Amino acid sequence: MTEKILARASGRAFVRPGDEIEARPDFVISYDFPGYTDVFFREAREEFGVSRVSSPERFVLFIDHMVPAATPKEEELHRGTRAWGLAQGVPVHERKGIGHQVSAELGYATPGAFLVHFDGHVSQLGAFGVYAFGARKGVLEAFVSETLAMTVPPTVKIVITGALQPGVMARDVFHHLVRVMGPSSCAFKAVELAGPVIDAMSIEGRQTVCGQAMFLGANTMLIAPDELTLAWAAGRSKLDLAPVYPDPDAVYERVVTIDVSALQPIIVVPPSPANTRDLSEHLGIEVHSGYLGSCASGRLEDLRIAAEVLRGRQVKPGFQLHVVPTSQAIMVQAAREGLIECLAEAGAFISSPTCDYCYGRIATMADGQRAVSTGTLNTPGRMGSVDSEIYLCNAAVVAASAIEGRIADPRPYLTAAR
Amino acid sequence: MNLPNLRGRVVWVFDQDDFDIDLIIGVRNIKITDLDELAALAMADRAPGFAATVQRGDLLVGGRNFGYGHPHYPAMRAMRHLGIAGVVAESFSPGFFRGEISMGFPLVTCPGIVAAVERGDEIEVDWAGQYVHHPRSGQSLPLQPLAATERQTLEAGGLIPYLKARRASAREQLT
Repeated sequence: MTEKILARASGRAFVRPGDEIEARPDFVISYDFPGYTDVFFREAREEFGVSRVSSPERFVLFIDHMVPAATPKEEELHRGTRAWGLAQGVPVHERKGIGHQVSAELGYATPGAFLVHFDGHVSQLGAFGVYAFGARKGVLEAFVSETLAMTVPPTVKIVITGALQPGVMARDVFHHLVRVMGPSSCAFKAVELAGPVIDAMSIEGRQTVCGQAMFLGANTMLIAPDELTLAWAAGRSKLDLAPVYPDPDAVYERVVTIDVSALQPIIVVPPSPANTRDLSEHLGIEVHSGYLGSCASGRLEDLRIAAEVLRGRQVKPGFQLHVVPTSQAIMVQAAREGLIECLAEAGAFISSPTCDYCYGRIATMADGQRAVSTGTLNTPGRMGSVDSEIYLCNAAVVAASAIEGRIADPRPYLTAAR
Repeated sequence: MNLPNLRGRVVWVFDQDDFDIDLIIGVRNIKITDLDELAALAMADRAPGFAATVQRGDLLVGGRNFGYGHPHYPAMRAMRHLGIAGVVAESFSPGFFRGEISMGFPLVTCPGIVAAVERGDEIEVDWAGQYVHHPRSGQSLPLQPLAATERQTLEAGGLIPYLKARRASAREQLT
């Protein structure tokens, strides 16, 4: 799949792993952040004399970090982004949600497309059969020329077999991959996911898994389109592209089959996303706050399961539960389904979508505090003091832990799991 | 053009695998862009006084998958401002590797380096010979060669000069 997408993007009949190519991104996606977009805008103009990006319809900007602004400097950054977008004819989507999710909602993730961003979590658009690459600083090249120089990666295929037990979610599957394969096992590779567990997984779950590709070392992760994908894309896709599928005789560097039938909920203990453990080993640890949100989780299935756990129950007094739907559209749907009402009644603090809870800009922890979180990372200091701790887990675990004030198993609270 | 060899003192060894470079300046500081401010924060949580010990040309040594996590730029911007000339590690996390090569910052993949050196040792990176030499033990460890574009980016001094040169040569071919 990777080779087909990159062949089209580089105007070649075919490409092979190791080929150095110049590929034209179908879309160049960014969010504004100091040292990234502000610098790209300036460097494109001052270093390269590019006052207008070529084909502005290929660019899109999101304002999802520092929303709402807390300092004049932050608002100044956003103002610069809006002004640049206006001058260039590039859309700026603000307060619609986390860009990686909104990109999917708005149809940038057209199956078969080649997308770039500076942020590697854009890999979650691979859920739509897209090659979505986090090029870091390399994105500058797309701002000053039509193409991006890159090396075609080899592909590792991961086939996930079996069936998930109740209370085990997509992010448990991802963390399990890191545990089984290792945090650098797919370094500089593309990962293609397949198998009955992926086939049965929701679009949301696939986004969750693909979005964490970097923690396996992978360049990106993608899934061949199926009926679910095509139904999602219908009426949304911004491009008229033929979906791309792997050939029956496709060559992979490695094919790994992992059975998840026995998989239990996971807890990722500090200080690294590589520290994957069974939840059962860490039950009972006192926690002070919980975060349900981010580009990895915070979608409807996460909110639904949290609401199921919390319905008719209360967050433990003193525990801070923050619920942040990933996008405005998700928040609206959650409201329609009564999930917002249920979570608020239970005592959750519910925020409009923003990236800011994930990196401690708000809901900041003090020394010695501990959180359960569906965020992306558990680096010490990521949610506040370097002497605070983050345990990553699925949305149901966050909800159950909020009730008990300690790391808790959600399954006793779930009808299907009892 | 050839990449100049790196010869310097190992000023710090990050011996744990999967090291997250955000720990160098603290996640709370990743929005800071002022170099003096960043440099003063480098290692403040881990080794107060670190900044004063760095000499121009010093090198860092890292374990496997160095740069795992979110490879934000401020940590290495701070290190470069202090005078750090490059990182030699067992292996690098791809996002970190790609990002820092774009910044023109030499990263050297050299399996075995953590066991071979101690803090304070001199080492020399020989790009042409494709090894890292460790005078104290007399050892030479093979390094993993760079891809052509990575090498050209470092030779040019980073992505911006590299892209400028490529654009200039593309224009020459047209005329």
